[in-house]
Amino acid sequence: MIGEILRITAEHVLIVAIAVGVAVVLGIPLGIYCTRNPRAGRVALRVIDTIQTIPSLALFGFLIPVPFIGGIGMRTAIVALILYSLLPIVRNTFVGIRGVDPVVRDAGVALGLTSRQLLFDVELPLAMPSIVAGIRIATVIGIGVATIAAAVGGGGLGTFIFRGVAMVDTRLILAGALPAAALALIADVVLSVVERRMIKG
Amino acid sequence: MKRFNVGFAGALLFLTACSEKAPIVVGSKNFTESVILGEMVAQKLESAGCKVDRRLNMGGTFVCDSAMTSGALDTYVEYSGTALEAILKQPKADVAAAYAKRGLHWGPALGFNNTFAMIVRKADSPGLLNISDLATVADRFRPGFGYEFVERPDGWNGLQHAYNLQFAKPPKTMDLGLTYKALASNEIDLIAGNSTDGLIASLGLIALNDDRHYFPRYDAAVVYRNDIDKKCGGASKALESLRGKLDDAAMRQLNFEVDGKKRDVAAVAHDALGR
Repeated sequence: MIGEILRITAEHVLIVAIAVGVAVVLGIPLGIYCTRNPRAGRVALRVIDTIQTIPSLALFGFLIPVPFIGGIGMRTAIVALILYSLLPIVRNTFVGIRGVDPVVRDAGVALGLTSRQLLFDVELPLAMPSIVAGIRIATVIGIGVATIAAAVGGGGLGTFIFRGVAMVDTRLILAGALPAAALALIADVVLSVVERRMIKG
Repeated sequence: MKRFNVGFAGALLFLTACSEKAPIVVGSKNFTESVILGEMVAQKLESAGCKVDRRLNMGGTFVCDSAMTSGALDTYVEYSGTALEAILKQPKADVAAAYAKRGLHWGPALGFNNTFAMIVRKADSPGLLNISDLATVADRFRPGFGYEFVERPDGWNGLQHAYNLQFAKPPKTMDLGLTYKALASNEIDLIAGNSTDGLIASLGLIALNDDRHYFPRYDAAVVYRNDIDKKCGGASKALESLRGKLDDAAMRQLNFEVDGKKRDVAAVAHDALGR
């Protein structure tokens, strides 16, 4: 049993790590894009907000027939989790950069920085605490949300929870819920340390 | 202000004390047929003047049963085979007598038998008619089931044993409601549905014949708590009038009205009671 819990916990970590990783790679550039093109940005943020309101089972229903990204198993679960993780990352990137003091930005322009230098040397470093906070939210929520992977045969700690609920077996439910709670706490502590470093640095 | 608060609290207390009896809590499992039947039970009770609290689409057999025995639910529709095999774990017992011992009444049979149906796609399964024919495809077919079917004693493990089937791939376990979609999308090749499901024919699927009679009968019946008439006089009489209301074809049609024609469950249940 312990071995199985460890294996499934590792599966769970894998699902969340891939999903949040991809969401970071997609979400930060998207957040930056939103600050550069306010009109298109508003539409993009609205779409990402709307994705958040789709219930996971409905989202799976849409994804199952879709080739390449859909189907049954871990891949579909990861795709859904990426979509759910985009909101905090994109929005915090957007808000972080928009929150940079215009005086600082103007000083950069006066120093003759190019738009690219302005982004990488001024805006992104100043926005970093907000961006890391977004990643932290996405990770902690993602650890909880990833339990729904078990609804599409995607594995993870939800497997225990779904089996436990189907059988009214409290021990099985706890075998899924407790490791998930522990993972969320660990992730939160680790990322809060990173966040504090960012604020100091 | 203070005086007002005291008066307000007093009024609340008064209202609570005078409020009518607690509503009858009606449950159902997490698939279309069970939800329709739960709605029919609820409407029947309401037409008898009872107050009803609907708790439809709950987790599944075991969730409904433990809610019944704890008193959180007053009534729902259960199937005889499920009660004997999965809940009581006494396949040979008399279901009504065994339920009476648990403070529950095995009520009126609705008149249809909804057995498990092992379902495959018609197009790529030529020659598959019986469950025993699955032996010819066990090396390549990908089964996919809800969590309950995999865990139940009258579920997947027993079936493999009874038919001496050895599938190369372990079953994908997923949400019961997604299995039809996954089968229709070619993601899996064998699912466990209900014989009265409305979509089997219209999705181009076939239910295999249980040629070794592995599955028992699953006659639907209204189960209710022995004390249900204390909550609402006449409740058990109203439920009793549902006896023999639906045969297999009628139930399949109701399921098709909801799943196939996308009609509202409450309207379908209302029409069914009106017949």
